[in-house]
Amino acid sequence: MVDEQKDFKKTLREITFKVFKATIKGVLFYAVYYFLTQFLAPISEIVPGFQLMIEAFVMAYIILMILGELTSGTIFHYFFDTAKSLFVVLYLLLTLNEGLLSTNFKNLNLIVDLRLFMTISMLFSLLGLAKSMLQAINFLSGKAESAAPKCM
Amino acid sequence: MNVSIRIIGIATMFFWIFLIAFAVSAVYSIKDLQFDFGEARFSVSPNHGILFSLPIYIDNNGYYSIDSFNITTEFSDSEGAFITEGFTLIPVIPKGENATIVHNVTLNLDGSLEGGQQYLFNDSELRIATSVGMRFAEVFPVEASTNFSLPWGAPFYNFMLGEPEYSGFNLTHQIVTVPLSFENHASFDLTGEIQLKIYNEAGVLLGENQAAFEVLRFSSYNGQFELYVQSARITSSGRFEVYLLTPFLDCEPLVIPYG
Repeated sequence: MVDEQKDFKKTLREITFKVFKATIKGVLFYAVYYFLTQFLAPISEIVPGFQLMIEAFVMAYIILMILGELTSGTIFHYFFDTAKSLFVVLYLLLTLNEGLLSTNFKNLNLIVDLRLFMTISMLFSLLGLAKSMLQAINFLSGKAESAAPKCM
Repeated sequence: MNVSIRIIGIATMFFWIFLIAFAVSAVYSIKDLQFDFGEARFSVSPNHGILFSLPIYIDNNGYYSIDSFNITTEFSDSEGAFITEGFTLIPVIPKGENATIVHNVTLNLDGSLEGGQQYLFNDSELRIATSVGMRFAEVFPVEASTNFSLPWGAPFYNFMLGEPEYSGFNLTHQIVTVPLSFENHASFDLTGEIQLKIYNEAGVLLGENQAAFEVLRFSSYNGQFELYVQSARITSSGRFEVYLLTPFLDCEPLVIPYG
């Protein structure tokens, strides 16, 4: 009975800590985003829908980050980490229109070539994906090692 | 394994921070870039053409340099037929500096005389397709393009020769007085020489004369040509040949019948 109560308290403490950590991370990430949007104002005036595009990205990223934090200590943590990296790659591919952003004002057609920027971002995301995979492999091998019978 | 994973994680985080900081600062510095276009104007080019000049002022107060700033202008007529194009390139505009360039395009009307004559005598509209390209902060190529029309004022608009008037000079010769007028609708002053030849109906040259002219922009010219011709060769009809010699175009003779 006492052990059960101790386990429950420990689990509750762990969950509370995870929720707290996830909240802090989410708030910090949003604060950084909010700070950076002040500097991105010039492009928001030029490209309609840019603000919405970034906001949707940040929201999805924060949700995946919070889910990853809440499931830390399980294999799902790495699933969400991997999903986060893949999401960045796919979002860049879909929203940046293969890296060529085009917009019109009256009679003026403006094209911004973001292909190099997109390539670098995708490479970094793939690096993050590789990291998540390695972490998952490391986690599973650690579990397998601890589950295996010890030989004398 | 743990150490290597951690190193990858730290490296990735630093790469992201660097990339985001760079992208944000590049976007932010756009507000410190200023492009101003001066008044576009036409003038007579020293190398036998009409020069279109567009002054451009670039003030780069951003955090990054502008590379390969280029401007291309393509002229076509009101029906879309290509006339000419011009290209201007500035390799680098460093940060904190400004640059003033004049984008010049020469319209050589000699190439197609029929087309050239059309621009000499008729007001028209020129279609201009302009594209401006540059590489901002080394990694962001940007291109802007636009189309617009520019009115073209003919330098010899409403060119007319009046009816020749004959008056006696001596027993064998007469003076033929021919009034000549046109309006310079062009946005540049016009200088040149007019040569007039008169032929009788048999095609025999009766006489010729030439005169220099200087007509300010948006003003008209009214003059008279006097030609000394042999009385015996004068016929009731014939033709004039008018040669317009200008710094930007040596025109084929205009044939104007009389009588």
